[in-house]
Amino acid sequence: MFKPSSPLFSGLLWKIPWRISQPQKARQRKRLRAVDKVVDTLSAALTRQGQTTKAVERWFREMPREEEMLPRDKYTIFDKKEKTYRKGIHKLPKWTRVSQRVNPPGF
Amino acid sequence: MSYFRITLVRSAIGLPRRTTDVLKALGLKKRMGMVFHPVSQSVAGQIMKVKELVEEVHLERKPDPGYYIEKTEAMEWVERGE
Repeated sequence: MFKPSSPLFSGLLWKIPWRISQPQKARQRKRLRAVDKVVDTLSAALTRQGQTTKAVERWFREMPREEEMLPRDKYTIFDKKEKTYRKGIHKLPKWTRVSQRVNPPGF
Repeated sequence: MSYFRITLVRSAIGLPRRTTDVLKALGLKKRMGMVFHPVSQSVAGQIMKVKELVEEVHLERKPDPGYYIEKTEAMEWVERGE
């Protein structure tokens, strides 16, 4: 049955909840670990051949691993428009398929 | 030779054009598609571009030579023992 509500009545009106849910957080950690695993496999395979790649080196230099990350960096990102300078990471477009691990220092 | 076995586990729909192009260059067309590539720096760089979308395993693979060497029983016996 049609239930009139703002998202159904107007055109482009999406509602993203303010808070990220626990299962979403669990899946986020799982995805972070999956990316870590891919990079580890790459680097192990290249090291065995005595090679290195710029992209892999840079990743290890700049990006923290899942277990090294603070919860606030795992689940929130910097946003200058917010009062606390932080918003949930689920507000980031395509957030399940992009690597967003570091934030501006001091925020 | 050592190879990467790369599986596309997340689709690149809605992601930048470059991401789709990298997948195409790797030979990945559909989700759960699987390709083998020799371990090299260029392949590693390509995988780094799409690391959020793929799953990868490093493995040794020896291609089937496509032939076998005929041997007499005596030769095989020598190879097996002393």
